[in-house]
Amino acid sequence: MRYLRSIRQGVASLSIIFIAIFFLDFGNVVPPFLISTFLTLQAGSAVMKAIGSGGIVFIGLAIVLVATALVGRVYCSHLCPLGTLQDIFIWTAKKNFKHRKFPYARPPYLLHYGITFFIIAAAFCGSVILLNLFEPFSSFGRIISTLLRPLFVLLNNVAASVLTKQQIYILYEIPLKSLTLFVFSTTLIFIGGLYWLSYFYGRFFCNTLCPVGGVLSLLSRVSLFRITIEKDKCNDCGLCERVCRARCIDSTNRNIDFAACVGCFDCVSSCPTLGLKYAFNKNGYSTQPPVDPKRRRIIVGSSTGMLSMIGFPRTAISESSPYEKSRKTPVVPPGARNTERFTNFCTACHLCVSSCPTRVLQPSFLEYGIAGVMQPCMDFAVNYCNYECTLCGQICPTGAIQSLLPDEKKFVQIGKTQFVKEDCIVETKKTDCGACSEHCPTKAVKMVPYGKLFLPEVDNQYCVGCGACEHACPTKPRKAIFVQSNPIHGIAKKRLDQRLEVPVLPQEFPF
Amino acid sequence: MDRRSFLLRAASASVLVGTGSVFGNLKRLNNGIWETSANSFDLVAIKGGEPDLMFTKGIEALGGMGSFVKKGQKVVVKPNIGWDVPPERGGNTNPKLISEIIKHCYAAGAKEVVVFDNTCDNWQRSYKNSGISSAVTDAGGKIAPASTEGYFHDVTVSGGKSLTKAKVHELILESDVFINVPVLKNHGSTQLTMSMKNLMGIVWDRRYWHGNDLHQCIADFAPYRKPDLNVLDAYYVMKRNGPRGVSQEDVVTMKAQLISTDMVSIDTAGAKLFGIDPIDIRYIQIAAQQNVGRPDLDRLNIKRISL
Repeated sequence: MRYLRSIRQGVASLSIIFIAIFFLDFGNVVPPFLISTFLTLQAGSAVMKAIGSGGIVFIGLAIVLVATALVGRVYCSHLCPLGTLQDIFIWTAKKNFKHRKFPYARPPYLLHYGITFFIIAAAFCGSVILLNLFEPFSSFGRIISTLLRPLFVLLNNVAASVLTKQQIYILYEIPLKSLTLFVFSTTLIFIGGLYWLSYFYGRFFCNTLCPVGGVLSLLSRVSLFRITIEKDKCNDCGLCERVCRARCIDSTNRNIDFAACVGCFDCVSSCPTLGLKYAFNKNGYSTQPPVDPKRRRIIVGSSTGMLSMIGFPRTAISESSPYEKSRKTPVVPPGARNTERFTNFCTACHLCVSSCPTRVLQPSFLEYGIAGVMQPCMDFAVNYCNYECTLCGQICPTGAIQSLLPDEKKFVQIGKTQFVKEDCIVETKKTDCGACSEHCPTKAVKMVPYGKLFLPEVDNQYCVGCGACEHACPTKPRKAIFVQSNPIHGIAKKRLDQRLEVPVLPQEFPF
Repeated sequence: MDRRSFLLRAASASVLVGTGSVFGNLKRLNNGIWETSANSFDLVAIKGGEPDLMFTKGIEALGGMGSFVKKGQKVVVKPNIGWDVPPERGGNTNPKLISEIIKHCYAAGAKEVVVFDNTCDNWQRSYKNSGISSAVTDAGGKIAPASTEGYFHDVTVSGGKSLTKAKVHELILESDVFINVPVLKNHGSTQLTMSMKNLMGIVWDRRYWHGNDLHQCIADFAPYRKPDLNVLDAYYVMKRNGPRGVSQEDVVTMKAQLISTDMVSIDTAGAKLFGIDPIDIRYIQIAAQQNVGRPDLDRLNIKRISL
C-alpha cells in the first residue's frame, strides 16, 4: 500500500506541471484539443461546461465524479492544482519544523457544506464572484498567469535579447502586459492567505472554503473504498495523525473522518505497522457530524453575508465618462454568444487571457459590475481580435467561450463600429489617414472620397466588431472610431464581391 | 618594417581604400546617368513568369546579385508580411520571390540573410500563413521578430517636414545591404502601397504617421535609409479592398515584377502597372519634389523583359 503515496506524488506533479504549462505557453505550442481535453478533469470548470452545454458530462468530469464516489476525494490530492500547491506550502512547513504536525480537528463539515451551498446558490442566481474567488482551478490559473507568468516572460525576454545579439531568432521578446492592479492584489492576497492557512492548518482551505471540495466531500460519503485504522495492528504511535494534512485522523480514537480526507495516502504509507488499510469497505460511512449550536450561528451569520452578495449588480456600472460617444458595455469574445451567458459561466481562470495570441483578452475590473470582477473582456487598446483565430473558444474550460469553427467565427458580430467624424484625423487635420479601414478584415470600414481626401465610412452589416479599426486609430485621447458591444452577438453579412475579370497581362508595359 | 613606416603605410593604405570607396559611391549615385555597362538600367520590368524566374531574369539584367551584395555582408530583406492571409490573397509579398532573393544573396557570398516585418495582424500568424516563414528557412535565411518596441531604436530623420524622428528596427541599422521587397496592391489610405509605403514596416510607431499627414511622413522617411535594391512583386495584385483584402475575388494574377534601386522610379512605374496615374498619389509626388528619386520614366533607362 506504500506505493499509493508515490503514485499520488507522480500524478499530482504531472497535473500541476501540465496546467502550469497551459498558462505559461506564450508561444501557443500546446495543441488546444490537448488543453481542453485535459481540463475536463478540472471538476469546477467542467461542471460549468456541462451545464452550459445542456448537460453533456465530459469524460474528465465523469471520471472525477465516479472516482470520488468509488474511492473518495483522491481528486483533491491528485488532480487539483491548487491542492498540490498547498501540499508544496505544507511541505515547506514540515521542512521548517522538524516535528511540525497538524493535530486532529473535527472537520467543520456543516460550515463547509454551507459555504459550498451558498457559493453555488449565488452562482445560480447569477453572482459568480464567490465561485470565481474560491474555485480552485481558476484561483490557480490566476496565480500562474498573474504572478508566475510575468517572471517567465521576463526570463524569456532576457534570453531572447541575448540570443538576438548572436543573430539567433528562436526566442522573441514578449510584451510584458501591464498588470491589472486589482487582479494582481487579489491574487497576491489570495496566495498569501492560502500559504498562511496551509502552513498552520494544512488543507484547511479544501475543507472549509473550497466549493469543489465541498461537493466532493459529500460525494465521498458514499464511496466504497476508504481508509480505516486496523485496530489490532495500531500501536497508538500517532504518526498517521501527525502526517495528515487534512487533519482528519483522530488517532486517539482510531477514527478517520473520511469525508474530510483528501486522499494523499501519507498515513497509509507512513504507518510503521501497516495498520492503515485502504480497501473496499462495505460498512459505508458512519460518523455523523455532531450538532454544535455555536457553529450553527457562525454558519447562519456567514451565509447571510454571502447571500447578500447575490444582489451584487452584474450589469455594468455606468461609466462616469462625460463623453457621450464611448463604449457602453464591455465587448465579450466571439463564442461567448451573449454577455449575460458569458458572465454567468466564466470563472475568471484567465486561461484565455494567457493564451490569446494578440492579447486582446484582458481581465476586467468593474466593466461587468462587481459580480463580474476579473472576468476577461476585449481590450482594443492592447490589440484586436485576429479574424482567423478561434483559440479562446477551443480552450475555455468552462464553456463560457464556446468553440467556433473559423468560418463560423468570421461572421459572429460581437459589436458594431461607431465612427465619430469630428474626432477623425481626416476632419481635424485635413490629411489622409485611413488606418481604420486598412486594418478592417471585412472592409466594413471603407475609405470614400472626401474632397481631395478619403474619409472612413462604416457599413455595419459587414462589421464583426473585432476592434482592428479602433486599435489602429491614431487619435488621442479618445478614438475616432470604436466598437460598441453587442450584448447579444449578431451575425455579420458575408461580402459578396464579384470576381474581378480574368486579368489580361498587358501586351506592353504601360511605361 | 619599423613602427614609423608601418604607421605611414597603414595610413596611406587606408586613405587609398577610403578614396576608392568614395568613388565607388559616386559611381553608384550617378549610376544610369553616365555609365553604360550591363548594370546600367534604372529600372527592370519583367512579366509573364513565376515570381522566382522573373527575379532571376531581372537581376541578371542588373549584373546579378553580386552588384549589390558583396562577400561576407549581412543582408536584410524586408517583404510585406502585414497580414494573416495566404499568398494567393496578394496581401503579402510572394514567398517564392523572397526565397529566390535569399538564394541569390547567398550565391553572391552574403554572410547572412535576415527577413522581418513589423506586421499589422498578429505577427506569428502572419509570418506563418503568408508562407514567408517557411520560404525563408527553406532558402537558408533567418526570420526575425519585430513584434515589440525593444527591437526598434530611435533615429533622427533629417530634412523631414512632418516626420523628424522614428524608431527603426535594429536589423536595418546593423545590416550592410537592405533589400526592400514590397507587394503591389490597393491601399485604403494611400491608394497604392509599393516600395516607399513598405518602409512603414521597418518603424515601430506607425500611428504617428497616420496622425500627422501620412503622405508627407512616407516621403519624409524615404531618404532616411534608401534600400540598396527594391523588388516590387506584382504577381498577385490586389485591386480593391486593400491593403488586407477581403477575399480572393479582390485579386488578379498580373505576373509582373519591377526591380530598381530608385524608390520613386519603381513606385511611379508600379502605379502605372496597376492602372493609376502616379500624379494622383501624393507621397510619390512629394518624394519626387524632395529629390528622393526620379519619376521621369521616359528619361530612364528601362529594361523590359517578357517571358
